[in-house]
Formats: sequence, structure tokens, C-alpha cells
Amino acid sequence: MKFDVAVVGAGPAGLAAAYRLASSGFKVVVLERGREPGAKELYGGRIYAYWLDKYLPEFRKDAPVDRWVRKERVSFLTEDKALTVELAITQKEKTSFVVPLVSFVSWLSKLVQGAGVKIVTEVTVDALVKDEKGKITGVQSGSDVLQAEYVIDAEGVNRLLLERAGIVKKLEPELVAVGVKEVLKFENKKVLEERLGLDEDEGLAWALAGYPTEYLPGGGFIYTYKDSLALGVVVYLKNWEKLKTPVYDLVEKLRLHPYIAPLVKGATLQEYGGHMTPVAGINMSPPRYYYDGLLIVGDAAGFLLHTGVLIRGVDFAIASGVLAAEAIKEARSPSAEDLAIYEKKLRESFVLQQLEKFRSADRLLSDESLFRDLALLSTEAAYRYFNIDHNQRTLFEAVREASKKTRVNMLKIMINMIRMLRSL
Amino acid sequence: MSLKYFTIEERLNANAWDVDIHRPHIKIKDPDKCRTCEKKPCTYMCPAKCYVQQGDYVVLSTEACVECGTCRVVCPHGAIEWNYPRSGMGIWYRFT
Repeated sequence: MKFDVAVVGAGPAGLAAAYRLASSGFKVVVLERGREPGAKELYGGRIYAYWLDKYLPEFRKDAPVDRWVRKERVSFLTEDKALTVELAITQKEKTSFVVPLVSFVSWLSKLVQGAGVKIVTEVTVDALVKDEKGKITGVQSGSDVLQAEYVIDAEGVNRLLLERAGIVKKLEPELVAVGVKEVLKFENKKVLEERLGLDEDEGLAWALAGYPTEYLPGGGFIYTYKDSLALGVVVYLKNWEKLKTPVYDLVEKLRLHPYIAPLVKGATLQEYGGHMTPVAGINMSPPRYYYDGLLIVGDAAGFLLHTGVLIRGVDFAIASGVLAAEAIKEARSPSAEDLAIYEKKLRESFVLQQLEKFRSADRLLSDESLFRDLALLSTEAAYRYFNIDHNQRTLFEAVREASKKTRVNMLKIMINMIRMLRSL
Repeated sequence: MSLKYFTIEERLNANAWDVDIHRPHIKIKDPDKCRTCEKKPCTYMCPAKCYVQQGDYVVLSTEACVECGTCRVVCPHGAIEWNYPRSGMGIWYRFT
């Protein structure tokens, strides 16, 4: 059986591509190694809606949304202090939402099947199949080969197939981080809302820097689902030598931190997981996004924008999938020459424009002292400002004293803050 | 505030799996490389604690693997052979 398009991976990128192609009459098959779409997927917890309105407007109709985010919280956390900034939006805005990725992908897979796509689960693709000229002509799973005019690689961050096909080198620790996540379920949603200070159905996205990663690059996160929350820690792989706690215990340390523990008291662990995430943005991209017979989308292409507090993967994945579909629709043949239109579309879209714009973010975010300095200095300075003794301090005195105590160089931190203003 | 610490084993027990006992998807290609590996990053960076140091060696058990791929990337000696598990096997996330 020959398909027009074979998509590897039923994630947001692969499914979005399949949906658009099938809607235009292409015969599409999606191969998924998990028991069901989403079974192998894990993310922080939030999806940004703005570009979905353009690339997947169907989501407004009936996609599952646990909570629309109306509170953005950022904390610098140390052993014994936390300094928190919160943006609360009182209008009923609908700009980003929290939902288990599994639920969202499950919804998307039904939409895709409705459009006529065949999704085959429990099939692990082992390799991309090439002909003698090097054109990708299909995929191989065990001893089975499935032929397709076009292949879309949406296999995710590990991108073993691209590596085996000689398209990319093995992933370097500098390019990725590992996220470890607990899903903690509350007795009911009221308890969750009261603990986190949320109105009914209001969502919270919370980034925490400093303590969660032992002051190394990365951070902690909390996202509120309906009656559970996602609690996690993301650590850059290149810094592993400096970690004192194994990565599997970092998230527990965060849960038990005196600032967090009262919030999650009594909640039961529903799931525990880990997943890698691209952190180097466009620096992780393969040499090209298109080859003879092949297009690369989503995490496998490095399409994840990460600027510390803001992390966007799903909207980039979906847009890249849609653009790959558009490229195939317009291409006269599966030759790389004709598929080059995919890259043109990426460059004309927010996908590569935004990734280019924040290209230097990774260099700053992977600076080993950045979060350490910020967390230690800001919490200590705030403490000294608010703590009244014989001498009430001016803000400057509080910062100067904190700088002395924490040995954080003020000039260096000011330079880093200017870098942050420019590149994050 | 005293909350109970969940061991990694307790946490992993919350998950659903379909273990491939016949063909593990990860293998240590050359255990001697692990023996001489000074820092053994796999024992530190695997979220599921699949790698445990025993004497100079590293013992791998893939049953509770969450398939993140970290071990392969952090291994400084390229000693880990990593595949996606066979069809349908391995971790099954339901709530993340």
C-alpha cells in the first residue's frame, strides 16, 4: 500500500501536517510508536493560542482547555527565601492555556482521523528508507517497509531517524535540557484554586529560578491543570557535573521546599516523567529542513523557543507542521529543489523569524552564574529592605549590603540585566 | 511543614508501562568503558534512576525508563546504544 505522505510521530507537529494534507485530498498515514497518540509526549504544561488561531483555528471550537492562564508568576527561590513577581490579568483573556499534552494531542488526533488520516499506533519506525539516489522513499519498521512519496519527520527531540540517515550528528549536551515532572492531583479543584490563589477555572503559569536547579541554568515550573498541577524542573545537560543532587531527586526537593510544600500538601502523585527539550533554539536545527522526499518539523527541527520564563513548543510545532503541508501541496515533485519552498515558508512565518530574533538567548541563559547571581542578590536585597532594625535601609543600601553578603558583583549583574533586556 | 519524600521507586510506581522484557531498548555497548568512566553522568542524569553504580561498573535496568534519551546524550564515551522501544512498549503517559 502506497501513501502520498507518511508522517513519523503523532505529536502536535506531525498531526497538524497530516490534518492539512488530508483536508486537501492527500492520502496520509501517521505512524506512532506509543499505545495512543500522546503516550510518549511530555511538556511543561502551557500552549500559546495566538498562532493557533491562524494555523489551527479549529482548536477554539472544542479543544480541551483545563485553564486559561490569567496569572503569570516568576520567583527567585533560595534555600530560605523567595522573591515573587506576579502579573494578574483580570479580563477574561484567552491567550494561553494549560492542558495535559496527552489530552490536547488526543483531541487533535480525532480531528485528524475525521479528515481521513490513518493513524497507526504501536509502530516504531526504525529508519528512513532511501533509494540509490539518496531520496527518502519511505520508512522502515522492523522488516516492514512503507513507501510514500513524501515523508515528514516529526519524531521529536531525540531524532534518531535523522541521525541514522546521516542528516544530523548525535545530539550534544549543549543543545538540550532534561525536564523532570510530577503531576500532583488534589482532592478537588476548589482545593487547588484556594492554595494557588486562583479564581474559578483561572490558570497559573509559574517559573522558578535558583534553588530548583541548584542555581544552574534551567529552572522550575508549576502549571495548574483542572484539579492537578504540573511541578517540574528543567536542567541543562551541559551542567550536569555541577549538580549535587541527582536529577531524579531535584523535583522532589522542590516539592518539599518550605515555599512550595504548603501548596501541594495532601496532593497525590498521579504521574512522574522525564523528557528532553531543545534549549539552543535554532542552533539545534539540522543543516536543512528539507531533503529529497523529506521534511522535518517540530522538536526534531529544533522549533522550540525558549527565553527562560517563556517557553513555546506546541505553537511552533503546529505551525511548522502546517507549513510543511502547504509546501507539499505546492511542490511539483518531492525533490529537495521543489521542497525548498518549505524553508521559504518558515522564513516568512513567525517560526524562523522569532527563532532568529532570539538566537542569542541561549548564550545568556546557559551562563552558569546568571540565575545564581539574580536569585541570591534579589532575595537578599529584598529581605534587607523589608527587615526593619535600628537602621531602615534605602533600596541602594539594601542592594549594596546584599551584594557584599552574597558576593555577587553588582557591575556584572547590571551588565547581565542589560543583556537580558536585549536578548530575552 | 513536613511532607513525605517520595523515593524514585515510589514515584515511578505511579506510571503505566508495558515492559519489553525480551528485548531491552537500551544497552551498554561496552561495560569496560563504564568501568573506566570517572564521573558516570548516567547515574546522575537519568530521571528514572535506571543506571546504578555497583563497584566500578554501572548496572542498567530499563524497566522503568521514561524514554527521554538523556543517558545517550550525557554519556561521554558513546557507550550507550539507545533505541525507541518496540511497537507500543515502554512508558505510557496519561496525565502529562
